[in-house]
Order: sequence, then C-alpha cells, then structure tokens
Amino acid sequence: MIGGRPPQAVRRAAGRTVGRNVSRVGITLALAFAALAGGAGYWQVVRSTDLSTSPDDPAVISAVRHVPRGRILDRRGTVLASNKLDANKEPYRSYRDPVMSPVIGYASRQYGMAGLELAYDAQLAGLRRSDPVADMLTKFQAKRYAPQDITLSLSLQLQRAAVRGLGRDQGAVVMLDPRTGEVLALASTPTFNASALANPTTAAATWKALNDDKSDPLLPRATLGRYVPGSVMKIVTAIAAFRSGSITKDTTYEQQPAAEKTGLLVSGYRVRDGHHLFTGDKALDFIEATEVSCNIYFALTGLRTGGAEIDAAARKLGFYAPIPFDLPTAPSQLTNGGGPLPGGFLDRVELANAAYGQAETNVTPLQMALVAAAVANDGVLMKPHLVRSLHGADGTQTVAPETWATVLPFNDAAVIKSAMQRAVEGQYGRLFTTGAKVPGISTAGKTGTAQLGGSGEPNSWFIGFAPVEQPRIAIAVVVAHGGGGGARAAPLGGDLMKLFFDTEANR
Amino acid sequence: MSAARQMALPALRWRALRPRARWRESVLLGLLAVTLVVGSASLGATERALAGHPPTFAAADPRALSLYLGMLFAVHLAQVLAGRRTDQVLLPAVGMLGGIGLLLMQRLPQDLVSQQIFGRTLVLGQLQLAWLVLALAVIGGLAVAVRSDRWLRLYKYTWAAAGIALLLLTLILGVDVNGARLSLRLGPLTGQPSELLKVMLVIFLAGYLSENRQLLVEQDTRLGPIRLPPLPYLAPMVAMWATALGIVVIERDLGAALLFFAVFLLLLYVATGRTSAIVLGLILFAVGAVLAYQLVGHVRTRVDIWLDPFADPGGAGYQVVQALHAFARGGIVGTGLGGGLPMVGGRLPIPELHTDFPFAALGEELGLAGILAILGVYLVVIERGLRIAAAAADDFRAILAAGLSLVVGVQAFIIAAGNLKLIPLTGITLPFISYGGSSLLTNAVVVGLLLAISDKGVEPPPPPGSRRRLSPRRLTGLLQRGAGQ
Repeated sequence: MIGGRPPQAVRRAAGRTVGRNVSRVGITLALAFAALAGGAGYWQVVRSTDLSTSPDDPAVISAVRHVPRGRILDRRGTVLASNKLDANKEPYRSYRDPVMSPVIGYASRQYGMAGLELAYDAQLAGLRRSDPVADMLTKFQAKRYAPQDITLSLSLQLQRAAVRGLGRDQGAVVMLDPRTGEVLALASTPTFNASALANPTTAAATWKALNDDKSDPLLPRATLGRYVPGSVMKIVTAIAAFRSGSITKDTTYEQQPAAEKTGLLVSGYRVRDGHHLFTGDKALDFIEATEVSCNIYFALTGLRTGGAEIDAAARKLGFYAPIPFDLPTAPSQLTNGGGPLPGGFLDRVELANAAYGQAETNVTPLQMALVAAAVANDGVLMKPHLVRSLHGADGTQTVAPETWATVLPFNDAAVIKSAMQRAVEGQYGRLFTTGAKVPGISTAGKTGTAQLGGSGEPNSWFIGFAPVEQPRIAIAVVVAHGGGGGARAAPLGGDLMKLFFDTEANR
Repeated sequence: MSAARQMALPALRWRALRPRARWRESVLLGLLAVTLVVGSASLGATERALAGHPPTFAAADPRALSLYLGMLFAVHLAQVLAGRRTDQVLLPAVGMLGGIGLLLMQRLPQDLVSQQIFGRTLVLGQLQLAWLVLALAVIGGLAVAVRSDRWLRLYKYTWAAAGIALLLLTLILGVDVNGARLSLRLGPLTGQPSELLKVMLVIFLAGYLSENRQLLVEQDTRLGPIRLPPLPYLAPMVAMWATALGIVVIERDLGAALLFFAVFLLLLYVATGRTSAIVLGLILFAVGAVLAYQLVGHVRTRVDIWLDPFADPGGAGYQVVQALHAFARGGIVGTGLGGGLPMVGGRLPIPELHTDFPFAALGEELGLAGILAILGVYLVVIERGLRIAAAAADDFRAILAAGLSLVVGVQAFIIAAGNLKLIPLTGITLPFISYGGSSLLTNAVVVGLLLAISDKGVEPPPPPGSRRRLSPRRLTGLLQRGAGQ
C-alpha cells in the first residue's frame, strides 16, 4: 500500500514542478475577476443614474403601473376612461364607449399609448417630468405620483349620434363652439374597441386584428385623415377674395352665364358646372353663386384673387401646419406646391380648380370645421381645444378660450354668413343642401361633392353653423365615397346640429 | 491542541473516531452564521415592510436558515470527529456562497419553480434548501470517506467514456428546454448531465496529462520557428476542440463548450507550462468562434446581442439589458435583500433570473459592495483549490485539484462576465448560488474531492514506476484483486 519514494521525490522526478504553472493560472484568473469588478463598477457607478432613471427601467415602469391613471370625463361628467385591476392587482384602462376611441386613444401596457392618453400621459399618470432631480429624490416615497382627472368638452351623446350617423361608412364629424373653440364632437369611423386593447388578456389579439383591418380603424380621421374637399373649399376662396378685396358681394363675371353651357376655358381646360338649368343666363353675384355652388364663379374668383392671396388666407386659417390642438393633426393643403405661380400652384388650371376644392387640395375635417367656425364667429378664429379642465390633488386647472387669429373683417364675414345661409335655406340652396336646415333655427352651410377621379363615389362634405345670427355650433361632416354632399353629409350635419340644440344648447 | 480536544471527548473514542479540532473552520463558520442571520433578518424586515407591517428584525425563514447552518456545522463536525486534516477555508467559503444563494431563492417569487416530490409540492426556496442540504452531505461524505484516489486515477478512460456516454444519452433522450437540449429526465427530476460531465472531464485530463506530462514537456514538434508539443499528443487538443464545437452546434450549449475548452487549455498549461500550447489553443478557439459565428444561428444571435443589446431592448436584447438595468439600480450599496427586482406584470424583470442571472439580482440588492465581496469569496475558493493543487503529493492530484478549482472559477467568470456584458451571455449557472440540483450537486462533488485531496492523511500516491498504461491484462488483474478483497 505505501509505495516507494516520498512525495517530494515524485514531484522532482516529473521534471519542472506544476506549482509555478498553477500560480500563473491563479494570477490569470485573479486578473479576470478584476475585470469583473471593473465591469460591475462601470454599470453600478458610472451608468447607474442614467439606466435606473430611464423610462425603460422596470422600476419606473412598475411604479407607474401600480398607480391608477387619472379618469377622463365628458362635458357632463360621464366617465369615459377609468381603471380596472388585473389578477396581479395592477390597474389597466377601461373605456366607456368605442365612439370615443379615436379621440381618447388607448393606454396599453403592451402597445403603448395613443390619442389623449398619450398627449396627456404626464397629467394622467401624475408623472412630474419637468424636474428630474426632484423626481429622483421622490423615488422612494410612498406617494410619488399624483394622477389628474381630465374633463373634456366632448359630449358623449353627440359623439354617439355622429358615429351612428356615419354608420358603416368611413368618415368624420367635427362639432365645435365657434365662440370658444370647445370641441363637442370629434367622431371618426370606423371606431375600435380601446378597452380590448388596454385589457392585458385581450390586447394581443385585438392589436393584431386592428392592424390587419384594411379599413384602418386606428386612424383618427377627424384630425389625421385628409380628404379632397370639393365645394366646401369655396368658403376658403371666398375668405381669401374678401380679405384681398378682389371681389365684393355684388361682383359678377360677364362671361360666366355663357360659359355654363360649354364650360369655362382656362388655359385649354374646361371648368364645368351643373346648375345652368336653374340659373339660366343670369350673371350670378357672390351670394347667388354660393347658393348654387357655381364652380365657374369661384374659379374666376380664384384666378382674380391670385395664388398668393389664397395661400395667405389659407395659412391664416391653419393650412400647411399642424393645428395647435390637444391631439396631433395633419396639415391641410391647397396644392402639392413647388409650382411657379404664387402660392406654389403649377399653373392657372390648378389654381382655378383649387379655388373650388379640386386638384391637389387635401384637408382635414377639423380644418374645415375651423373654416366654418371662423365665418360663424364673425371672422375671429378661436383655438380649438378638447380639454376643459384638469383636476388633481393640487386643485383644478381650467382651460380658458383663446383667440387664435382674426381672419376676416366683421362685414365680410357677415356677407359669407348670409351666402352660406342662402346655400341652406335659399330657393335653390335647399335643393343642393337637403336636410341641413335645423327646424326653427336659422342655419348656414355649404356642401361639397369632391370628385376623386376614376369610377368611385365622390366624397360627401358639409360644413355649417347655426344659428346664423349668434352661432353656437359649427360643424364639418365628411363621408368618404358617400356620394353628393347634399345626399349624405348635409342631412347628417342638420340632424347633429338639431340634436345639439335639443340637448346641449340648453344646458 | 488536538490532544486537549481528544481528552475532552473520551466517550467518543472508538475505532473510527479520532477527533481533531478544526479551529479555523469553526471560527469562519461562526462568522458565516452571523452574516447569514443578519442577511436573513434584513430580508425579513424588508418583506414585512413591503407587506405593510412594521419592520421588525427577525429572520425571513428561520427554520430553513437553521437547517442550512446546522448542515454546515454537521459537515464540520463530521470532519472533526473523523479527524480529517482537510482544507479549513473551502467549506466556509462555499457555505457563504450557498447561503447567499439560499437567501436569494427565498426572496424570489416562490412559484418560479415547483416540484412534486413524494407527494409534496416543494417550491423554489424549499427546493434550493433541499439541494443545498444534499450538496453539503455530498461534500461531507466525500471529505470524510475518500481515503484513496485510485478509483479516479486508474479508470480515467472509463470516466471519459462515461462522460461521452452521458453526453450522447442527453442528445438522444434529452428534453429540450429553451431551444437547448441539455436536460435528462429521471422520474420527477430533470438534471443537466453536462454539469457532471465537467468533473469527469477533469478527472480524465488529470489522468491523461499527468501520465504523459514528461513527453509533453520534453519532446517537440518543430514547425518552422515554432515549437509545439509532440504531434501525437496534440490529438487530444483537437479532439477536445471538436467536441466543444460539437456541443455548441448540436447541444446549443455555448457556456459548457466555452467552459470545457478553457479548462482544458488552462490544465494543459498547468501540466506542461508551454505557452505555445495556449497560443495554439487560442488560435483554434478563434477559428472555432468565427466558424460558429458564421454557421450557427444562435451563436450569431448571442454575439450580436452582446455587441449591442440596446439595439432591440424589448426583444432579443431584453434579458441582457434588464440585467444591466438591475446592476444600475443597485448602485454602490444596493437596495437591500428583498428591496429590488421590481415586478412588472407579476413577473420578475429578468427572465430565467434564478438560474442565469442571480449575479445581476445580487448586484441590484447587494450593490457593488456585495458584488465585490462575492467575487472575493470566489477568489478565495479558487485560491484554496490552487493551493491544494500546488501542495499536492503528485502530478495527478495537482492537476486534478487545479482542474476542479478551475471548473468553479472559470464557470463563475463566464456567467458573471455574461451578466455584466463583458462577454456574450451563455446560459450556465453561477456555482453554489444559482438554483438547480445538478449544478449544486456537481459543485459539491468538486468541493468534496478538493477537500479529500487536501487531506494530509489520504493514501499516498503510487510510486512513479507503477504508473503504467492500463492494459486489459492489468485491468483484469485489478478487478480480480478488487473482487478478492
């Protein structure tokens, strides 16, 4: 069992000892561990603050997630967005009605936020983002977040009626108070079920279905959808013409009656009309031309006013830039731009066509509601807003009406108002603008039938306001491929304004 | 001192018992006990505070901790009573790591793991405790019972064959977990044989390298100006390299491959002292790494994530980014046990935390200070192991001890460096801390063998003359002799 030589001799016999090699390996390993210490130091000291306070950090996310978001209420105090608790006792969003989804959007753990949920995230979550240092110091406090409730100017009732009225069509309705800029309805169809998107158990399937949906329900059409306006654009042309003084209410064009039969020749292109049957050979003035929606009159007015003036008026109304609003908006346009004429028009044909809302004009429903509101409010454009007030632990904060721009002198606005009233209530206007009239209340408006080229049905438009003398509501309705303006959009506009006067106006 | 000890315990003196005091181990274990009790109390206080109760100082789970500490002292006592002169620092150091791991597993959500054993459902903390107790039993058993190394020394090819068989068995009968086929199912338990494989590999290498050391050191293959070890002996290196690559490709186990190859290279250096062998090995590694990157999808994924985890922080890079966030949240002093790891949606911030990311979790809760301490304890384990190697009676034991300590050290480095984004992340366990029976038991075998080798009373190695190749005739002879006894 005990064999020959002692251990020392054994090791010598094997030549160089392994001891030296072992210690070298030990030193190597020690250096490797020193590198680990260095790595830990880098992440735990050098990068500690920026990583641990980033919004991606689970500690921040978790803290936010354990605090219920503030509620969202409509103008009557109906709760539109509230919270439910999941199996882990963590809150998630629940929404009252899908008709509000394009406005309120959603707050989903998996898929982020949209709409007012995103725009007012800081207030709803109660994050104090303005002061990161204080934010860091409050990191370990029990009540770090102070969520605020938000009251909207929207009416759930009007919004529901608007969505019901749009039905299966894609389209949008914007209703606002021209005196204050308060938005009462901001409907977009199709809507979507935001609650299903916020509920963690149904979110994934809902998200997939919504993104696969060809009708694009996640697009808030009232603010981000852009449509060819057709004849509703004539109001913009009128505003530009009166601003520049290129026409008065008595202006007539002597070539206009003759041109009705064959079309007005502009640089080889014929602008055509469809009202010759009613008006015959009479040269129309501004109010008559508006009543029968005379393309030739407005094409000539556009040419006389000039691209520069039309462009300036449109910009004054909010074109070419996002509208200052609670939600992101798409900019509206008269032309794709880049042309040699003032205002970026390619040629006189494009200018003439843009003057009655064809060619490359593209507008959002919100923008057209603002056009109506500007006329209704005697030329003074109010800043549109959705949020009436915020309520938090620190008290209530109310949003005051704000003037955005004065686009027209009072007298010129009055002329356009009366022209738009004739377009709804006049002898011929009634034929063009069926059903827009609110019974018992003086109503003004303008329809639009925007030809889209090809064989598709045109976009059906209506903008208007009531009562004419003291307007309390302005509206824009668009139904994509809805047919003639008088057929689809105008009756819906009339119904919605009537509902407003039946319900909200007396409150 | 030992005489006094022996006089103090006269009643216990019978044939097997020759008690011998181990004062150093006693003191260190005492310090360890105090540390773990304080840690458990801090965890308990935090948990009660988070549950909304007034934070009072009492251990989080006193029974589990007492059982663990009791088992540590039992292993200590077994060695004292058996009069073993084994290393006295290794057990407390390993016990410290195991205790930290136990506290961490008690602190994590318990339903992370649950297992039916004998009709009872055990959850994370209880399972880890059970495995730790078993592991300590293995350590104690090996330290006390192993009095000879012949069963390792003579059967190195058998061990190697067993290792390969285990590998193949895993490949054929294994269960896929997370896209890697690493687990074998045995009744209610699943184990990862590659854990045990590393010990078998070290035993084989120790036998092979000690036997051929003379040749490897003295003979050269000249390749121009480069002097390499003799050609026939390069074969194992290439075989090892091919096996490692095979593990990467077939088993998709990057960590094990890296560990095997690194330990092999380091052991080759320990045996030969040849830098050229290391250089050659590194070149082979580089070639293998490039090949794997080009040809194997999951290797490329891992490397790409490592290069820029923030490119896709919510997807591919999620685990790594979350680990870095955890380190960052910890800062210098940490959040305290139980105070970190914010739950998101009822889940821990880092997936597979209990097996692959305990280092990051400890980085958050114990801070940089705790991380440095843990790294220090690992270095103590490595240092003790290498010290045992340097003091070993012969080459076999030296290389075996060095290999066993390297297995622990290199594995700890690979996973810690992966957690810290120093190297690509590979899914291997943090020795003694990670959850898992295979890992704990294998590392217990490592420590038990190290203790046995360190024992000054163990059977001396056979004289160099007897170190012959194991011929079939000799094997038969040995077997007959064994049967005759």
